[in-house]
Amino acid sequence: MQQQAIITVKDLRTYFYSDKRCNKVLNGISFELYKGRTLCVVGESGCGKSVTASSIMQLLPKLSRIESGSITYHAPDGDIRIDLLERNGKEMRSLRGADIAMIFQDPMTALNPVYTIGYQIGENLKYHTTLDKDARRARTLELLTQMGISTPEKRIDQYPHEFSGGMRQRAMIAMAMSCNPKVLIADEPTTALDVTIQAQIFELMEKLKTEHDTAVMLITHDMGVVSELADDVAVMYMGNIVERGSVKEVLKHPAHPYTSALLRSIPVLHKGKNQNLQPIRGSTPDPYDRPKGCQFGPRCDFFCEKCNEMPPESPVCEGHSVRCWNADQVYGSAVKAGSESER
Amino acid sequence: MRNTLQYVLKKLLLMIPMVLVITFLIYWGLDLTPGDPISYMFSPDQLANIDPQKLAEMRELYGLNDPFFIRYLKWLWQLLQGNFGYSITNGVAIKDLLAQLFPATLELSLAALLISTVLGSVLGILSALKKGSVGDNLLTVAGMIGVSIPQFFFGMVCIVVFALNLGWLPIGGRTAPGMTGALAHLKFLILPASVLGISLTAGVMRYARSSMLDTMNKDYIKTARAKGLPEWRVNLVHGFRVSLTPVVVLIGFRLPTLIGGSVVIETIFQWPGIGNAFKTAVTGQNYPLVMMIALFSVLAVLMASFLVDILTAILDPRVKLE
Ligand SMILES: Nc1ncnc2c1ncn2[C@@H]1O[C@H](COP(=O)(O)OP(=O)(O)OP(=O)(O)O)[C@@H](O)[C@H]1O
Ligand SMILES: [Mg+2]
Repeated sequence: MQQQAIITVKDLRTYFYSDKRCNKVLNGISFELYKGRTLCVVGESGCGKSVTASSIMQLLPKLSRIESGSITYHAPDGDIRIDLLERNGKEMRSLRGADIAMIFQDPMTALNPVYTIGYQIGENLKYHTTLDKDARRARTLELLTQMGISTPEKRIDQYPHEFSGGMRQRAMIAMAMSCNPKVLIADEPTTALDVTIQAQIFELMEKLKTEHDTAVMLITHDMGVVSELADDVAVMYMGNIVERGSVKEVLKHPAHPYTSALLRSIPVLHKGKNQNLQPIRGSTPDPYDRPKGCQFGPRCDFFCEKCNEMPPESPVCEGHSVRCWNADQVYGSAVKAGSESER
Repeated sequence: MRNTLQYVLKKLLLMIPMVLVITFLIYWGLDLTPGDPISYMFSPDQLANIDPQKLAEMRELYGLNDPFFIRYLKWLWQLLQGNFGYSITNGVAIKDLLAQLFPATLELSLAALLISTVLGSVLGILSALKKGSVGDNLLTVAGMIGVSIPQFFFGMVCIVVFALNLGWLPIGGRTAPGMTGALAHLKFLILPASVLGISLTAGVMRYARSSMLDTMNKDYIKTARAKGLPEWRVNLVHGFRVSLTPVVVLIGFRLPTLIGGSVVIETIFQWPGIGNAFKTAVTGQNYPLVMMIALFSVLAVLMASFLVDILTAILDPRVKLE
């Protein structure tokens, strides 16, 4: 099946500057977002997942910038190079909230406490559609209903503090979906919510994705979520995407030592108590004092001379690529282990 | 709605004991200061020549010989009957006196409040939005100087420069003989209002700046940007609107000191307001007038805190009046 890419990121480098020091937060990442597919981005805290999202939205903090590489949005009427747009310029603003929408981690703080939910959703419509005031209100009501919020006529005029956490995240999603975006970026949208609410929110996102053919980029820590929701996965480590591909391939046959170590370090559901969990040894390096070459080198079981040089991204098989000199070895053992357990 | 009504009633009832306690304390304090009004009515030479018998009679007449607590109760009783008393030094009804003083003070205070609020908020917000820039640093330094310079010094300098040297504005006072028209009147207001206003600006500015910085770091500002809103809307509608609340609280709490009259400014500029009269009344041991002005200020403080509560509830939907 030929997928239609909606966003292409190529060799993106985003650096942060502080006290004349440079933190190479994103060090050459490449990936695509496809229409109607979910890309899950996973990785340890601080590896640059949120910065990736902010780069696409051009919402980076002041002391950071896209150093090189490209972010291309394949708009219906021609490609747009997002990285070349002025940060808060008119063109970028017309994309944000309309073509590319984003929802954040903590719905408790992501809504302005002094405006009603209806006002905040209506604001999005006001800037991206030609609807008049009444039409905007009608559309907001419709959105709230779609998001599964009961008694929307009452809810629309309430303030965020009158909403529960799950409701607020629904309201955030309503806001994000108000202009039928082509791309939805969700940065850990359920980390602040309890598990049952989490499931509801994901169900809602999944429904919207299929209905509107939206491309979703979902940032998460939770491998369970990945196996449930993802079509594709990108595994990040210290500013690189070390491995990416379809979810089946990557979770079943990890070709990067980090991915395979990550999978071994977390419990798998329905496998009982006596799982052999192995935490990844060592700790993440200081971002200002990075190891040479492959960033995972010092913690890797497969470390060799070659690893002092950054490996290029190379395909393992169709739609699965990895940045590792020893990928064949890792992949081979994963495939072998897989076929053994099937037997 | 019923909650609000209950709240208002409760607040008003609570004011009664507060007023009693505070006026009692002020009355007591006045009683402890040496001397009495009689000794201020005459110059020391005259005082030495007056028949002590006559002085004692006068003290009796003014009720100064009663025990302290009785005098306080008498004063309170008169007050409840709507009798504000008479100025000891010149016998004018205090009611009439206040009716003259209050408009003058109100005029000066509102002008100063307007200047400091507008200037302070605008500079504070600009300073926050351009954090770390040359302008921000200059404003921070200027604010520090503004807070630490005494009002009387700043006032004097302004008088010397703008009134004496440049001769643009009058030295002081509120009216000149034969003066007509609002414009001529404005000339008298400009200097004291600016000095008072600017000296209050520094505080508002620092408050507005830190409040704005705090707000602009909030997640919902990022949400607003992610919606594709223009920067002015992010800054004003989302940023400023939220950072407004603490600034309004600060200004609200300043209101009573302004309504009570700025003693320093009114004295320097010979502004015929409450602050000026208060100073004269205190040095002259003019009990009835001091007490009335004190009562007035106490009420202003209580009303201001009440006003602040209501304003906060209006500005911040999370706050409930109860
Ligand atoms: N505002 C900022 N100022 C300075 N450095 C930042 C800022 N935001 C992120 N960074 C740096 O960028 C790196 C990546 O941060 P990022 O927020 O993208 O991590 P993340 O993968 O989203 O982590 P988490 O899972 O904790 O959200 C970190 O090393 C951090 O130090
Ligand atoms: Mg993050």
